Amino acid sequence: MSEDLAFWAGYITNGKHLTWYASFQFTVYAALLGGALAVVFGLTGATLKNSRFVGFRLIGSTYSSIVRGVPDVLFFLFFPLAFEQGVEWLVSTQVCSVESIAAQTAPWPPCREANWFLGTTEYLLLASVSLGLVYGAFATNVIHGAMRAVPAGQLEAARAYGMSAAQVLWRVHIRQMWVYALPGLSNVWMLIVKATSLLSLLQIADIVLWADRLGAPNFLPTVGLVHDDWRWRYYLVLFVFYILVTWLSERAFEALMRRTGRGILSEVPA
Amino acid sequence: MKKMMLAAAAILALGTPAFAQDSVRIATEGAYAPWNFLNDAGEPAGFEIALGNAICETAGLTCEWIINDWDSIIPNLLAGNYDLIMAGMSITDERLETIDFSDNYFPPDPSRFVAAAGANLDFAALSGARVGVQGGTIQAAYAEENLGGANTVVTFTTADQAMADLAAGNLDTILADGAYLDPVVTASNGSIEFVGEEVMIGNGVGAGIRKEDTALKAKIDEALASLKADGTVDALIAEWFDGMGPFFAE
Repeated sequence: MSEDLAFWAGYITNGKHLTWYASFQFTVYAALLGGALAVVFGLTGATLKNSRFVGFRLIGSTYSSIVRGVPDVLFFLFFPLAFEQGVEWLVSTQVCSVESIAAQTAPWPPCREANWFLGTTEYLLLASVSLGLVYGAFATNVIHGAMRAVPAGQLEAARAYGMSAAQVLWRVHIRQMWVYALPGLSNVWMLIVKATSLLSLLQIADIVLWADRLGAPNFLPTVGLVHDDWRWRYYLVLFVFYILVTWLSERAFEALMRRTGRGILSEVPA
Repeated sequence: MKKMMLAAAAILALGTPAFAQDSVRIATEGAYAPWNFLNDAGEPAGFEIALGNAICETAGLTCEWIINDWDSIIPNLLAGNYDLIMAGMSITDERLETIDFSDNYFPPDPSRFVAAAGANLDFAALSGARVGVQGGTIQAAYAEENLGGANTVVTFTTADQAMADLAAGNLDTILADGAYLDPVVTASNGSIEFVGEEVMIGNGVGAGIRKEDTALKAKIDEALASLKADGTVDALIAEWFDGMGPFFAE
Protein backbone atom coordinates (compact mmCIF):
# COMPACT_ATOMS: atom_id res chain seq x y z
CA MET A 1 0.00 0.00 0.00
CA SER A 2 2.67 2.48 1.03
CA GLU A 3 4.75 1.31 -1.92
CA ASP A 4 1.82 2.06 -4.19
CA LEU A 5 1.45 5.50 -2.66
CA ALA A 6 5.15 6.20 -3.12
CA PHE A 7 4.93 5.05 -6.75
CA TRP A 8 1.96 7.26 -7.58
CA ALA A 9 3.46 10.20 -5.71
CA GLY A 10 6.56 9.74 -7.85
CA TYR A 11 4.54 9.28 -11.05
CA ILE A 12 2.48 12.42 -10.71
CA THR A 13 5.56 14.45 -9.88
CA ASN A 14 7.76 13.25 -12.77
CA GLY A 15 9.10 15.82 -15.25
CA LYS A 16 6.23 15.32 -17.69
CA HIS A 17 3.63 16.01 -15.01
CA LEU A 18 5.60 18.94 -13.60
CA THR A 19 5.61 20.45 -17.10
CA TRP A 20 1.84 19.99 -17.15
CA TYR A 21 1.45 21.75 -13.80
CA ALA A 22 3.73 24.54 -14.99
CA SER A 23 1.60 24.94 -18.13
CA PHE A 24 -1.31 26.13 -15.96
CA GLN A 25 0.52 29.45 -15.84
CA PHE A 26 -0.11 29.97 -19.59
CA THR A 27 -3.84 29.63 -19.01
CA VAL A 28 -3.74 32.05 -16.08
CA TYR A 29 -1.59 34.59 -17.94
CA ALA A 30 -3.79 34.45 -21.03
CA ALA A 31 -6.96 34.90 -18.96
CA LEU A 32 -5.58 37.81 -16.90
CA LEU A 33 -3.95 39.64 -19.81
CA GLY A 34 -6.89 38.90 -22.09
CA GLY A 35 -9.31 40.11 -19.41
CA ALA A 36 -7.37 43.33 -18.82
CA LEU A 37 -7.22 44.00 -22.56
CA ALA A 38 -10.93 43.24 -22.93
CA VAL A 39 -11.70 45.92 -20.35
CA VAL A 40 -9.39 48.38 -22.12
CA PHE A 41 -10.95 47.62 -25.52
CA GLY A 42 -14.41 47.66 -23.92
CA LEU A 43 -13.87 51.09 -22.36
CA THR A 44 -12.46 52.41 -25.63
CA GLY A 45 -15.32 50.93 -27.63
CA ALA A 46 -17.98 52.23 -25.24
CA THR A 47 -16.44 55.71 -25.19
CA LEU A 48 -16.39 55.71 -28.99
CA LYS A 49 -20.02 54.56 -29.06
CA ASN A 50 -20.97 57.35 -26.67
CA SER A 51 -19.03 59.95 -28.62
CA ARG A 52 -20.62 63.08 -30.04
CA PHE A 53 -18.94 62.48 -33.40
CA VAL A 54 -20.66 60.20 -35.90
CA GLY A 55 -17.33 58.82 -37.14
CA PHE A 56 -16.29 57.63 -33.69
CA ARG A 57 -19.73 56.21 -32.97
CA LEU A 58 -19.57 54.28 -36.23
CA ILE A 59 -16.15 52.79 -35.35
CA GLY A 60 -17.38 51.77 -31.91
CA SER A 61 -20.57 50.10 -33.07
CA THR A 62 -18.91 48.44 -36.09
CA TYR A 63 -16.29 46.92 -33.78
CA SER A 64 -18.80 45.59 -31.26
CA SER A 65 -21.24 44.21 -33.82
CA ILE A 66 -18.75 42.61 -36.23
CA VAL A 67 -16.32 41.10 -33.73
CA ARG A 68 -19.13 39.77 -31.53
CA GLY A 69 -20.48 37.85 -34.50
CA VAL A 70 -17.22 36.13 -35.44
CA PRO A 71 -16.69 32.76 -33.67
CA ASP A 72 -13.87 33.06 -31.14
CA VAL A 73 -12.06 29.97 -32.48
CA LEU A 74 -11.97 31.51 -35.95
CA PHE A 75 -10.73 34.85 -34.65
CA PHE A 76 -8.19 33.02 -32.50
CA LEU A 77 -6.73 31.37 -35.59
CA PHE A 78 -7.14 34.35 -37.91
CA PHE A 79 -5.72 37.21 -35.89
CA PRO A 80 -2.29 35.77 -34.90
CA LEU A 81 -1.75 34.43 -38.44
CA ALA A 82 -2.72 37.71 -40.08
CA PHE A 83 -0.58 39.65 -37.61
CA GLU A 84 2.43 37.36 -38.14
CA GLN A 85 2.20 37.60 -41.92
CA GLY A 86 1.67 41.36 -41.70
CA VAL A 87 4.86 41.74 -39.66
CA GLU A 88 6.73 39.42 -42.01
CA TRP A 89 5.56 41.45 -44.98
CA LEU A 90 6.68 44.69 -43.29
CA VAL A 91 10.06 43.16 -42.45
CA SER A 92 10.42 41.74 -45.95
CA THR A 93 10.16 45.20 -47.52
CA GLN A 94 13.29 46.10 -45.54
CA VAL A 95 15.50 43.00 -45.46
CA CYS A 96 14.78 41.05 -48.65
CA SER A 97 17.17 41.36 -51.56
CA VAL A 98 16.33 40.34 -55.11
CA GLU A 99 18.57 37.28 -54.72
CA SER A 100 17.03 36.15 -51.44
CA ILE A 101 13.53 36.44 -52.91
CA ALA A 102 14.62 34.39 -55.91
CA ALA A 103 16.20 31.78 -53.59
CA GLN A 104 12.98 31.35 -51.62
CA THR A 105 11.10 28.25 -52.73
CA ALA A 106 8.23 28.39 -50.23
CA PRO A 107 5.19 30.54 -51.02
CA TRP A 108 5.62 32.48 -47.77
CA PRO A 109 7.46 34.49 -46.37
CA PRO A 110 8.85 36.47 -49.34
CA CYS A 111 12.42 35.66 -48.27
CA ARG A 112 14.01 33.54 -45.55
CA GLU A 113 15.39 36.55 -43.65
CA ALA A 114 11.87 37.87 -43.17
CA ASN A 115 10.67 34.78 -41.37
CA TRP A 116 9.43 35.45 -37.87
CA PHE A 117 9.64 32.43 -35.61
CA LEU A 118 6.86 32.55 -33.07
CA GLY A 119 7.63 30.84 -29.78
CA THR A 120 5.37 30.26 -26.82
CA THR A 121 5.80 33.81 -25.46
CA GLU A 122 4.90 35.44 -28.77
CA TYR A 123 1.91 33.18 -29.29
CA LEU A 124 0.77 33.77 -25.72
CA LEU A 125 0.85 37.54 -26.28
CA LEU A 126 -1.01 37.20 -29.58
CA ALA A 127 -3.54 34.86 -27.98
CA SER A 128 -4.15 37.36 -25.18
CA VAL A 129 -4.61 40.20 -27.66
CA SER A 130 -7.06 38.02 -29.62
CA LEU A 131 -9.01 37.25 -26.45
CA GLY A 132 -8.96 40.95 -25.56
CA LEU A 133 -10.22 41.93 -29.01
CA VAL A 134 -13.01 39.34 -29.14
CA TYR A 135 -14.29 39.80 -25.61
CA GLY A 136 -13.59 43.54 -25.67
CA ALA A 137 -16.46 43.70 -28.17
CA PHE A 138 -18.78 42.12 -25.60
CA ALA A 139 -17.37 44.39 -22.89
CA THR A 140 -18.05 47.36 -25.19
CA ASN A 141 -21.73 46.54 -25.17
CA VAL A 142 -21.84 45.87 -21.42
CA ILE A 143 -20.00 49.10 -20.58
CA HIS A 144 -21.99 51.10 -23.13
CA GLY A 145 -25.21 49.96 -21.48
CA ALA A 146 -23.81 50.61 -18.00
CA MET A 147 -22.80 54.12 -18.95
CA ARG A 148 -26.33 54.86 -20.07
CA ALA A 149 -27.62 53.50 -16.78
CA VAL A 150 -25.78 56.12 -14.72
CA PRO A 151 -28.50 58.60 -13.65
CA ALA A 152 -28.38 61.74 -15.80
CA GLY A 153 -28.71 63.85 -12.66
CA GLN A 154 -25.27 62.72 -11.47
CA LEU A 155 -23.65 63.95 -14.69
CA GLU A 156 -25.65 67.16 -14.62
CA ALA A 157 -24.54 67.81 -11.08
CA ALA A 158 -20.90 67.22 -12.08
CA ARG A 159 -21.24 69.69 -14.94
CA ALA A 160 -22.87 72.16 -12.62
CA TYR A 161 -19.74 71.97 -10.45
CA GLY A 162 -17.83 73.23 -13.50
CA MET A 163 -16.12 69.97 -14.47
CA SER A 164 -14.91 69.65 -18.06
CA ALA A 165 -16.32 66.93 -20.31
CA ALA A 166 -13.22 64.75 -19.67
CA GLN A 167 -13.52 65.25 -15.92
CA VAL A 168 -17.17 64.29 -15.96
CA LEU A 169 -16.28 61.17 -17.96
CA TRP A 170 -13.42 60.01 -15.73
CA ARG A 171 -14.44 61.21 -12.28
CA VAL A 172 -18.18 60.61 -12.34
CA HIS A 173 -19.42 58.71 -15.35
CA ILE A 174 -16.89 55.84 -15.46
CA ARG A 175 -16.61 55.66 -11.65
CA GLN A 176 -20.36 55.16 -11.23
CA MET A 177 -20.68 52.98 -14.31
CA TRP A 178 -18.84 49.99 -12.73
CA VAL A 179 -21.71 49.10 -10.47
CA TYR A 180 -23.96 48.57 -13.50
CA ALA A 181 -21.23 46.97 -15.61
CA LEU A 182 -19.81 44.42 -13.17
CA PRO A 183 -22.53 41.76 -13.45
CA GLY A 184 -22.17 41.81 -17.24
CA LEU A 185 -18.39 41.96 -17.08
CA SER A 186 -18.26 38.96 -14.78
CA ASN A 187 -20.07 37.03 -17.53
CA VAL A 188 -17.54 38.23 -20.09
CA TRP A 189 -14.73 37.20 -17.73
CA MET A 190 -16.15 33.68 -17.43
CA LEU A 191 -16.27 33.46 -21.24
CA ILE A 192 -12.61 34.52 -21.40
CA VAL A 193 -11.66 31.87 -18.85
CA LYS A 194 -13.43 29.24 -20.93
CA ALA A 195 -11.80 30.44 -24.13
CA THR A 196 -8.32 29.91 -22.63
CA SER A 197 -8.80 26.22 -23.35
CA LEU A 198 -8.14 27.10 -27.01
CA LEU A 199 -4.48 27.97 -26.41
CA SER A 200 -3.24 24.66 -27.84
CA LEU A 201 -4.59 25.75 -31.24
CA LEU A 202 -1.67 28.18 -31.34
CA GLN A 203 1.06 25.60 -30.67
CA ILE A 204 1.15 26.58 -27.00
CA ALA A 205 1.79 23.48 -24.89
CA ASP A 206 -1.08 24.31 -22.56
CA ILE A 207 -3.03 22.30 -19.98
CA VAL A 208 -5.36 20.76 -22.57
CA LEU A 209 -2.54 19.62 -24.86
CA TRP A 210 -0.66 18.05 -21.94
CA ALA A 211 -3.81 16.40 -20.62
CA ASP A 212 -4.20 14.83 -24.07
CA ARG A 213 -0.58 13.72 -24.21
CA LEU A 214 -0.39 12.41 -20.64
CA GLY A 215 -3.73 10.63 -20.95
CA ALA A 216 -3.04 8.99 -24.33
CA PRO A 217 -2.63 5.23 -23.92
CA ASN A 218 0.98 4.08 -23.75
CA PHE A 219 2.03 0.59 -24.77
CA LEU A 220 5.81 0.96 -24.54
CA PRO A 221 7.76 0.46 -21.32
CA THR A 222 10.65 2.50 -22.81
CA VAL A 223 8.38 5.53 -23.02
CA GLY A 224 7.13 5.34 -19.43
CA LEU A 225 4.33 3.75 -17.46
CA VAL A 226 2.22 1.43 -19.62
CA HIS A 227 -1.44 2.38 -19.28
CA ASP A 228 -4.79 2.50 -21.12
CA ASP A 229 -6.62 5.57 -22.29
CA TRP A 230 -6.51 7.79 -19.22
CA ARG A 231 -7.61 11.02 -20.83
CA TRP A 232 -10.80 11.30 -18.78
CA ARG A 233 -8.78 11.39 -15.55
CA TYR A 234 -6.77 14.31 -16.83
CA TYR A 235 -9.85 16.06 -18.19
CA LEU A 236 -11.39 15.64 -14.75
CA VAL A 237 -8.49 17.59 -13.25
CA LEU A 238 -9.14 20.35 -15.81
CA PHE A 239 -12.84 20.35 -14.84
CA VAL A 240 -11.92 20.83 -11.20
CA PHE A 241 -9.45 23.57 -12.12
CA TYR A 242 -12.01 25.51 -14.14
CA ILE A 243 -14.66 25.10 -11.43
CA LEU A 244 -12.16 26.40 -8.89
CA VAL A 245 -11.42 29.40 -11.11
CA THR A 246 -15.17 30.05 -11.43
CA TRP A 247 -15.62 29.93 -7.67
CA LEU A 248 -12.66 32.26 -7.06
CA SER A 249 -13.91 34.64 -9.75
CA GLU A 250 -17.34 34.83 -8.17
CA ARG A 251 -15.78 35.70 -4.81
CA ALA A 252 -13.56 38.32 -6.45
CA PHE A 253 -16.45 39.90 -8.32
CA GLU A 254 -18.55 40.04 -5.14
CA ALA A 255 -15.71 41.89 -3.41
CA LEU A 256 -15.30 44.22 -6.39
CA MET A 257 -19.04 44.90 -6.40
CA ARG A 258 -18.95 45.86 -2.72
CA ARG A 259 -15.96 48.13 -3.34
CA THR A 260 -17.30 49.93 -6.42
CA GLY A 261 -20.80 50.10 -4.95
CA ARG A 262 -19.85 52.02 -1.83
CA GLY A 263 -22.43 54.76 -1.35
CA ILE A 264 -24.50 53.83 -4.41
CA LEU A 265 -25.17 50.12 -4.03
CA SER A 266 -28.25 50.84 -1.92
CA GLU A 267 -29.72 52.79 -4.84
CA VAL A 268 -29.28 49.99 -7.38
CA PRO A 269 -32.33 47.78 -7.57
CA ALA A 270 -31.27 44.27 -6.69
CA MET B 1 -5.72 52.40 -28.43
CA LYS B 2 -5.94 49.40 -30.70
CA LYS B 3 -3.25 50.87 -32.93
CA MET B 4 -1.04 51.57 -29.96
CA MET B 5 -1.38 47.99 -28.75
CA LEU B 6 -0.47 46.65 -32.17
CA ALA B 7 2.51 48.96 -32.42
CA ALA B 8 3.67 47.94 -28.96
CA ALA B 9 3.30 44.26 -29.83
CA ALA B 10 5.18 44.79 -33.08
CA ILE B 11 8.10 46.50 -31.32
CA LEU B 12 8.16 43.77 -28.72
CA ALA B 13 8.17 41.12 -31.40
CA LEU B 14 10.93 42.72 -33.45
CA GLY B 15 13.02 43.29 -30.38
CA THR B 16 13.39 39.58 -29.69
CA PRO B 17 16.28 37.88 -31.48
CA ALA B 18 13.88 35.64 -33.37
CA PHE B 19 15.65 36.09 -36.67
CA ALA B 20 19.01 34.85 -35.43
CA GLN B 21 20.03 31.42 -36.64
CA ASP B 22 23.21 29.97 -35.23
CA SER B 23 22.28 26.36 -34.59
CA VAL B 24 20.47 23.71 -36.58
CA ARG B 25 16.90 23.36 -35.39
CA ILE B 26 15.35 19.93 -35.77
CA ALA B 27 11.60 19.54 -35.62
CA THR B 28 9.94 16.39 -34.37
CA GLU B 29 6.41 15.46 -33.39
CA GLY B 30 7.06 13.99 -29.95
CA ALA B 31 4.07 11.65 -30.19
CA TYR B 32 5.30 8.68 -32.26
CA ALA B 33 7.10 6.26 -29.95
CA PRO B 34 9.61 4.75 -30.31
CA TRP B 35 10.65 7.08 -33.16
CA ASN B 36 10.16 10.21 -31.14
CA PHE B 37 8.24 10.90 -27.96
CA LEU B 38 8.40 12.93 -24.76
CA ASN B 39 9.97 10.95 -21.93
CA ASP B 40 8.96 11.06 -18.28
CA ALA B 41 11.06 14.19 -17.83
CA GLY B 42 9.00 15.86 -20.57
CA GLU B 43 11.96 16.03 -22.95
CA PRO B 44 12.16 14.69 -26.52
CA ALA B 45 13.54 11.13 -26.63
CA GLY B 46 13.50 8.11 -28.91
CA PHE B 47 15.31 6.62 -31.89
CA GLU B 48 15.34 9.79 -33.96
CA ILE B 49 16.45 11.99 -31.07
CA ALA B 50 19.39 9.64 -30.36
CA LEU B 51 20.23 9.42 -34.07
CA GLY B 52 19.83 13.16 -34.64
CA ASN B 53 22.17 13.95 -31.78
CA ALA B 54 24.70 11.44 -33.14
CA ILE B 55 24.49 13.03 -36.61
CA CYS B 56 24.97 16.51 -35.18
CA GLU B 57 27.97 15.36 -33.13
CA THR B 58 29.58 13.68 -36.15
CA ALA B 59 28.92 16.67 -38.41
CA GLY B 60 30.09 19.15 -35.78
CA LEU B 61 26.72 20.95 -35.64
CA THR B 62 24.95 22.42 -32.64
CA CYS B 63 21.42 21.08 -32.66
CA GLU B 64 18.24 22.02 -30.92
CA TRP B 65 14.97 20.07 -30.86
CA ILE B 66 11.62 21.67 -31.54
CA ILE B 67 8.25 20.00 -31.01
CA ASN B 68 5.83 20.77 -33.83
CA ASP B 69 2.43 19.33 -34.71
CA TRP B 70 2.54 16.78 -37.52
CA ASP B 71 0.09 18.56 -39.84
CA SER B 72 2.10 21.79 -39.95
CA ILE B 73 5.54 20.22 -39.86
CA ILE B 74 6.34 20.66 -43.60
CA PRO B 75 4.87 24.20 -43.97
CA ASN B 76 6.86 25.37 -40.93
CA LEU B 77 10.06 23.87 -42.39
CA LEU B 78 9.46 25.82 -45.60
CA ALA B 79 8.72 28.97 -43.61
CA GLY B 80 12.12 28.61 -41.95
CA ASN B 81 11.01 27.95 -38.37
CA TYR B 82 13.52 25.07 -38.29
CA ASP B 83 15.99 23.46 -40.64
CA LEU B 84 15.36 19.73 -40.44
CA ILE B 85 12.48 17.33 -39.86
CA MET B 86 13.14 14.03 -38.11
CA ALA B 87 9.68 12.70 -37.36
CA GLY B 88 9.41 9.22 -38.82
CA MET B 89 8.67 10.80 -42.18
CA SER B 90 8.72 8.44 -45.15
CA ILE B 91 10.39 9.59 -48.33
CA THR B 92 7.70 9.76 -51.03
CA ASP B 93 7.55 11.26 -54.51
CA GLU B 94 4.73 13.51 -53.40
CA ARG B 95 6.78 15.02 -50.55
CA LEU B 96 9.87 15.27 -52.78
CA GLU B 97 7.97 17.81 -54.86
CA THR B 98 8.05 20.27 -51.94
CA ILE B 99 11.05 19.30 -49.83
CA ASP B 100 14.24 17.29 -50.07
CA PHE B 101 15.25 14.34 -47.91
CA SER B 102 18.53 13.07 -46.56
CA ASP B 103 19.47 9.47 -47.34
CA ASN B 104 17.16 7.16 -45.47
CA TYR B 105 18.08 6.16 -41.93
CA PHE B 106 15.37 3.53 -41.69
CA PRO B 107 14.72 1.08 -44.52
CA PRO B 108 11.35 0.95 -46.31
CA ASP B 109 9.01 -0.36 -43.67
CA PRO B 110 5.81 -2.22 -44.51
CA SER B 111 2.61 -0.58 -43.29
CA ARG B 112 0.29 -2.94 -41.46
CA PHE B 113 -3.28 -3.15 -40.22
CA VAL B 114 -4.17 -3.77 -36.59
CA ALA B 115 -7.54 -4.51 -35.01
CA ALA B 116 -8.92 -5.46 -31.63
CA ALA B 117 -8.42 -9.17 -30.90
CA GLY B 118 -11.16 -11.33 -32.39
CA ALA B 119 -12.35 -8.74 -34.90
CA ASN B 120 -13.37 -10.60 -38.04
CA LEU B 121 -12.39 -8.35 -40.91
CA ASP B 122 -12.58 -9.62 -44.46
CA PHE B 123 -9.71 -7.76 -46.09
CA ALA B 124 -10.39 -9.27 -49.52
CA ALA B 125 -13.59 -7.22 -49.69
CA LEU B 126 -13.40 -4.72 -46.86
CA SER B 127 -16.50 -2.54 -46.73
CA GLY B 128 -18.36 -0.53 -44.15
CA ALA B 129 -15.34 -0.52 -41.84
CA ARG B 130 -14.00 2.48 -39.95
CA VAL B 131 -10.31 2.71 -40.83
CA GLY B 132 -8.13 4.96 -38.65
CA VAL B 133 -5.02 6.71 -39.99
CA GLN B 134 -2.89 9.67 -38.95
CA GLY B 135 -3.64 12.66 -41.18
CA GLY B 136 -1.03 13.62 -43.78
CA THR B 137 0.76 10.26 -43.69
CA ILE B 138 1.52 7.84 -46.49
CA GLN B 139 -1.06 5.50 -44.95
CA ALA B 140 -3.72 8.22 -45.06
CA ALA B 141 -3.14 8.68 -48.79
CA TYR B 142 -3.14 4.90 -49.35
CA ALA B 143 -6.32 4.30 -47.32
CA GLU B 144 -8.15 7.16 -49.04
CA GLU B 145 -7.23 5.78 -52.47
CA ASN B 146 -7.72 2.05 -51.90
CA LEU B 147 -10.30 1.78 -49.13
CA GLY B 148 -12.02 5.15 -49.28
CA GLY B 149 -15.06 4.23 -51.37
CA ALA B 150 -16.57 1.38 -49.41
CA ASN B 151 -15.22 2.31 -45.95
CA THR B 152 -14.97 5.34 -43.73
CA VAL B 153 -11.41 6.62 -43.39
CA VAL B 154 -11.03 8.51 -40.10
CA THR B 155 -7.98 10.74 -39.77
CA PHE B 156 -6.35 11.63 -36.46
CA THR B 157 -3.87 14.32 -35.48
CA THR B 158 -1.55 11.84 -33.77
CA ALA B 159 -1.16 8.08 -34.05
CA ASP B 160 -1.74 7.78 -30.29
CA GLN B 161 -5.23 9.24 -30.67
CA ALA B 162 -6.02 6.66 -33.33
CA MET B 163 -4.87 3.91 -30.94
CA ALA B 164 -7.03 5.37 -28.18
CA ASP B 165 -10.08 5.25 -30.46
CA LEU B 166 -9.34 1.68 -31.52
CA ALA B 167 -9.12 0.73 -27.85
CA ALA B 168 -12.43 2.51 -27.23
CA GLY B 169 -14.06 0.51 -30.01
CA ASN B 170 -14.69 3.47 -32.31
CA LEU B 171 -12.52 2.06 -35.08
CA ASP B 172 -12.45 -1.32 -36.77
CA THR B 173 -8.84 -1.14 -37.86
CA ILE B 174 -5.81 1.13 -38.07
CA LEU B 175 -3.27 1.35 -40.88
CA ALA B 176 0.16 2.59 -39.73
CA ASP B 177 3.91 1.97 -39.96
CA GLY B 178 4.80 -1.60 -38.97
CA ALA B 179 7.69 -0.36 -36.84
CA TYR B 180 5.30 1.85 -34.87
CA LEU B 181 2.66 -0.87 -34.44
CA ASP B 182 5.02 -3.74 -33.62
CA PRO B 183 5.78 -2.75 -30.00
CA VAL B 184 2.16 -1.68 -29.48
CA VAL B 185 0.88 -5.13 -30.46
CA THR B 186 3.54 -6.83 -28.32
CA ALA B 187 2.76 -4.69 -25.28
CA SER B 188 -1.02 -5.01 -25.62
CA ASN B 189 -0.88 -8.62 -24.35
CA GLY B 190 -3.06 -9.93 -27.14
CA SER B 191 -5.81 -7.31 -27.00
CA ILE B 192 -4.59 -5.79 -30.28
CA GLU B 193 -3.41 -7.95 -33.18
CA PHE B 194 -2.09 -7.63 -36.70
CA VAL B 195 -4.69 -8.35 -39.36
CA GLY B 196 -4.70 -8.45 -43.16
CA GLU B 197 -1.69 -8.13 -45.39
CA GLU B 198 1.34 -5.90 -45.20
CA VAL B 199 1.34 -2.96 -47.57
CA MET B 200 4.57 -1.57 -48.95
CA ILE B 201 4.45 2.22 -49.28
CA GLY B 202 7.25 4.80 -49.19
CA ASN B 203 11.00 4.63 -49.68
CA GLY B 204 12.19 4.50 -46.10
CA VAL B 205 12.43 7.24 -43.53
CA GLY B 206 14.76 10.21 -43.92
CA ALA B 207 15.29 13.70 -42.57
CA GLY B 208 13.32 16.42 -44.37
CA ILE B 209 15.35 19.42 -45.58
CA ARG B 210 14.49 22.50 -47.62
CA LYS B 211 15.48 22.09 -51.28
CA GLU B 212 17.80 25.08 -51.27
CA ASP B 213 19.77 23.87 -48.22
CA THR B 214 22.13 21.72 -50.28
CA ALA B 215 25.11 22.35 -47.99
CA LEU B 216 23.20 21.12 -44.94
CA LYS B 217 21.93 18.07 -46.85
CA ALA B 218 25.52 17.19 -47.85
CA LYS B 219 26.69 17.47 -44.24
CA ILE B 220 23.84 15.31 -42.92
CA ASP B 221 24.29 12.67 -45.64
CA GLU B 222 28.04 12.51 -44.98
CA ALA B 223 27.55 12.09 -41.23
CA LEU B 224 24.79 9.54 -41.83
CA ALA B 225 27.03 7.54 -44.18
CA SER B 226 29.78 7.31 -41.58
CA LEU B 227 27.29 6.36 -38.85
CA LYS B 228 25.87 3.65 -41.10
CA ALA B 229 29.37 2.36 -41.88
CA ASP B 230 30.46 2.15 -38.24
CA GLY B 231 27.26 0.39 -37.20
CA THR B 232 25.81 3.20 -35.06
CA VAL B 233 22.55 3.43 -37.02
CA ASP B 234 22.01 -0.34 -36.86
CA ALA B 235 22.78 -0.36 -33.14
CA LEU B 236 20.25 2.43 -32.52
CA ILE B 237 17.58 0.66 -34.57
CA ALA B 238 18.20 -2.56 -32.62
CA GLU B 239 18.05 -0.63 -29.35
CA TRP B 240 14.78 1.21 -30.05
CA PHE B 241 12.98 -1.33 -32.24
CA ASP B 242 13.46 -4.46 -30.19
CA GLY B 243 16.37 -6.05 -32.02
CA MET B 244 15.36 -5.23 -35.61
CA GLY B 245 17.97 -5.26 -38.32
CA PRO B 246 20.79 -4.94 -39.09
CA PHE B 247 19.95 -3.04 -42.27
CA PHE B 248 22.96 -0.93 -43.15
CA ALA B 249 25.93 -3.15 -42.19
CA GLU B 250 28.52 -3.51 -44.95
